[in-house]
Amino acid sequence: MSLGKLIERLLQLVPVLLGVSLIVFVMMALTPGDPVQIMIGDQNITPEQEEALRRGLGLDRPIVERFFVFIGNALQGDFGQSFYHRRPVADVIAERLPATIELSLVALIVALVTAIPLGVLAAIRKNSIFDKLATVGSLLGVSLPGFWFGILLIMLFAVQWNILPVSGRIGYSSEIETITGFLLIDTLLRGNLPAFWDAVKHILLPAITLGLPMTAILMRVTRTSMLEVLRQDYVTFADAKGLSRARVLFRHALKNALIPTVSVAAIETGSLLGGNMIVETVFGWPGLGRLVVESIFLRNYPLVQAAVLLYAVIYVGLNFFADILYTVLNPRVKL
Amino acid sequence: MTNLQRLLLASAMAIGPVAPAAYAADLVVGFTLDADTLDPANHRKRETETVIRNLYDGLLTRDPNMVVVPEIAESMTQVSPTVYDFKIRAGIKFHDGTMMTAEDVKFSLDRVVVEGAMGNGQTSPRQSLMGPVASVEVVDGDTVRITLKEPWPILPAMLPNQQIVSKAFVERVGSEGLATEENGTGPFRLVEWRKGESIIMERFPEYYGGATDIAPVGPACVDRVIFKIIPESASRVAALLAGDVHIINELPAFSIAQVNANSGTHVMTVNGTRSFFVAMNLEGEYFDDPLVRQAAAHAIDKNLLIDKILGGNAAPINGILSPDAFGASDLPVYGYDPEMAKKLLADAGFPNGIDVVMDTEGAFKDTAEAIASLLTKVGIRTTVAVGESAQLTSKWRLQGKAPKTGDMYFSSWGNGSLDPFDIFTPTHRTNDRGNSAGYSNPAVDALLDAAATELDVAKRAGMYREAELMINADLPYLYLWVPQDIYGVSDRLSGWKPSADSRINLHDACLN
Repeated sequence: MSLGKLIERLLQLVPVLLGVSLIVFVMMALTPGDPVQIMIGDQNITPEQEEALRRGLGLDRPIVERFFVFIGNALQGDFGQSFYHRRPVADVIAERLPATIELSLVALIVALVTAIPLGVLAAIRKNSIFDKLATVGSLLGVSLPGFWFGILLIMLFAVQWNILPVSGRIGYSSEIETITGFLLIDTLLRGNLPAFWDAVKHILLPAITLGLPMTAILMRVTRTSMLEVLRQDYVTFADAKGLSRARVLFRHALKNALIPTVSVAAIETGSLLGGNMIVETVFGWPGLGRLVVESIFLRNYPLVQAAVLLYAVIYVGLNFFADILYTVLNPRVKL
Repeated sequence: MTNLQRLLLASAMAIGPVAPAAYAADLVVGFTLDADTLDPANHRKRETETVIRNLYDGLLTRDPNMVVVPEIAESMTQVSPTVYDFKIRAGIKFHDGTMMTAEDVKFSLDRVVVEGAMGNGQTSPRQSLMGPVASVEVVDGDTVRITLKEPWPILPAMLPNQQIVSKAFVERVGSEGLATEENGTGPFRLVEWRKGESIIMERFPEYYGGATDIAPVGPACVDRVIFKIIPESASRVAALLAGDVHIINELPAFSIAQVNANSGTHVMTVNGTRSFFVAMNLEGEYFDDPLVRQAAAHAIDKNLLIDKILGGNAAPINGILSPDAFGASDLPVYGYDPEMAKKLLADAGFPNGIDVVMDTEGAFKDTAEAIASLLTKVGIRTTVAVGESAQLTSKWRLQGKAPKTGDMYFSSWGNGSLDPFDIFTPTHRTNDRGNSAGYSNPAVDALLDAAATELDVAKRAGMYREAELMINADLPYLYLWVPQDIYGVSDRLSGWKPSADSRINLHDACLN
C-alpha cells in the first residue's frame, strides 16, 4: 500500500470520529435519566444542594454548549472528569483498557490455535464422525451464552476441582509492578515466573469463555475455505506430482485456505472487545467493558463518550489492519 | 471442550498451585462493586463508603445494631437546638504517623459542606448528607462545634456518613490525589488498589482502637483485608464455596440452601433498610379511586410472596417505614382477601375488572410478575413492563413538573439512616423527588415538615406515627416489605456480624 493510500485512510478517520462523537453525545442526551438524580439516589435533598451538584458536574449549561466544550477539549486530549470517579476519564479508562486488550488477545490466540487445526481436520475428514461432531460443537460454541458457560467452567475448575481461581487477574499475594499493563508480559519481563503462572491460571477460564464463539466461527470458516481450496486444480496437480499428503495440505492448501480465516479473525477481534462485558462480569475481570456498561446505567456521560470514541478508533483500526493483512496474504488483492 | 483447550488446561494444572508468601491471616471479602474513589468526601455510593470506612474513621459511627456511638469524638453535647459540640479524642494518628487534631476535623467537614470546597468549583456530592450546616468551628483546642441554620435532629444519625481526612495531606496531594491515595485514621491502611479487581489493605499497628463502645478496642485482628470485586452473584457464591473468599455480600435468596449445605460456609442475615412498594398513579384513570387502591391491597398475599420469592427473608410493612426505623409503629393491615378485593373493584364501577401495566426494573421482574398474577386473580389484570432504572425514574419521579403517565410502578427506597426524614419525606411529600404515586396530602406535608425539625424525640415519633396512619388510610402505595440483607460467610470467620446499613466494618473480624 502506498503512503498516499495510508494517509487517505487515516484522514477518513476524522469524519468517522466526529460523527461518532456527535451520535453518542446526542444519544446520551436524549436517553431519559438525569445523572444528578441518579447520583443522589434515595435521599432527601434541598433544591439548592441539587443545583450545586449539577453546577459542579457542568450539567447546568445548555446541551449545545456542552457539546462544543466536549469536542474542543477532546481535540486537546481532555475528555473531562468521570462523574463518579472524580478523576479524568482518560485515566480511568487507561487503567482498565490493558486488562480488556490482554483478555481479548489471549481469547483470540485460544480461538486461532483451536479453530484452525479443528477446521482443517474437519475438512480433510469431510462427513466423518469427527466432522459431524465438529459441526455440532461449533453450533454449540456460537449458541452457548457466555454467562452460563463461564459459570459452568467456574463450578468445575474452581469449586469442584479447585485448580483454577474463580475471578480476578492475578492473586493478591503476587506483587507486580506493571510496565506494559499486560500482566502476562510484565511478569515475564520482571522474571517473576510464579506470578506469570498465576496470571495464566487467572486468564484461562475467561479467555476460553470469551474465545468460544470465535473458535466456533473460525473453525467453520477454515473448514469451508479448506474444502474450497482442496478442490482447486493446483492441489490435484500437487497430489498428482506425488507430493506427500502433509506437504500438499500444509504447504499448498492451508496457506491459501487461511486467508479468509485471518481476515475474519481480525474483524471479529473488535467484537471480542465489545463482547467482553459479560465475561468480565462473570470472572470479575477488571476490564473496560464492565466499566462502560456501569457508566451507561449511571449516565456517567464523560466516561461513556470517551469510551465509545475509543471503541470506534479500535474498530476502524482493526478493519484497516484486516485490509492490509488481506493484501499481504493475498497479493492478487490491491487496496 | 476441545482437545486443545483440555491440553492447555492440563498444562496449566501440571504447574500446580503457586503459593507466593501468603500472610498469616488474609481476610477476603467477595464484594459487588469497586470503590469509585478513596476520597471520603467525593462519592455517592454505599459500596464506596463500605471500602473507605475500613481506611477512615468518622466523628461518630454505628454499632452493628445501628446505635450511633462516638468514634473519633470522645463525646457529643447538644448545646442548643442548632449547636452541637464534639470533643475530639487525643492520641489519634493518621496512617502517615502524624497526629490528628480538631483542625483536621473542621477541614474534613468544611470540604463537605462549603460550596465549591472540592476544588475546580465542585461541591461535595455528600453535602446534602450533612443537612443545613451553617458553620464548623474549632472552639478550643480539642472541641469542634457544628452550628446549623435550623434545627435538624438527625444530624447525629447522619454524621457516621462522614470521615476525617488529614488537612496537611489533602493540601499536599489535592482532591485528585485523595481519589487514589489515602491517609486516614482507620484500622487498616491501603497497600494497593488494583482498579476494578481488588483493594488490598493491611492492619494499621498504631490504630487508636476505634469506638470505645464497640468491643474489642485495639488494632484490627486480621493482618490484611482484601476487597475482591466479583460483580456476578453466582461467581461470588462460587468463590465462597471454593474457599477463595470469606465473606460475600448480596447473596441471592435462592443460594441460601446451597451455602448452608456446603461444609465450611453458612449464611448470616440482618434486617435491611430498603422498603419495597408498588406506587399507584393517583393521577391515572383507575388508581385515583381509593376503592381500586384498597382492592389492590387486599389482592396481595404478602406472606406468600415473602415465603416463596424472598425465602422468608423479609419483614412485611403496612406503611413506608421499616419496623426498625425511628417512629415505626403497628399499623392497620389490609389482609389478603380476594373476595373483598373483587367486591371493592365492583363497587368502584369495574365489575369486569381493569387492565393495567406495572413498570419495574429487570432485577425485580420475577417478583413483579408474582404480584401481577395476584392482582390479575381479582380482576386487576396486570402486565409487567420491564424498563431501565434511570428511564423509569424519569418517568415516575416527575416532582410535579409534568403530568404522570403509567398505572403502577414496583420500586423501592433505601433508608440507611433508619430515620424517616430520608424516606418518608421524599416519597410522600407533595411533589418531592421520590413521590412516584403523585400523592398530595397537605396534612401529611405539614406533619413531615414539622417532624423534620422537632427536637422532642417522643413528640417527633408521634408525628411520624400520625403520618403513617394517614398514608395507611390513603394508600398511595401498596406497602410490601423490607428484605433482609443476606451474606455468605466462612465458618473460619468470627467477631463479625452484618450491619443494617450494609457496611462491612472489619476491625473486629478474625479468621480462625
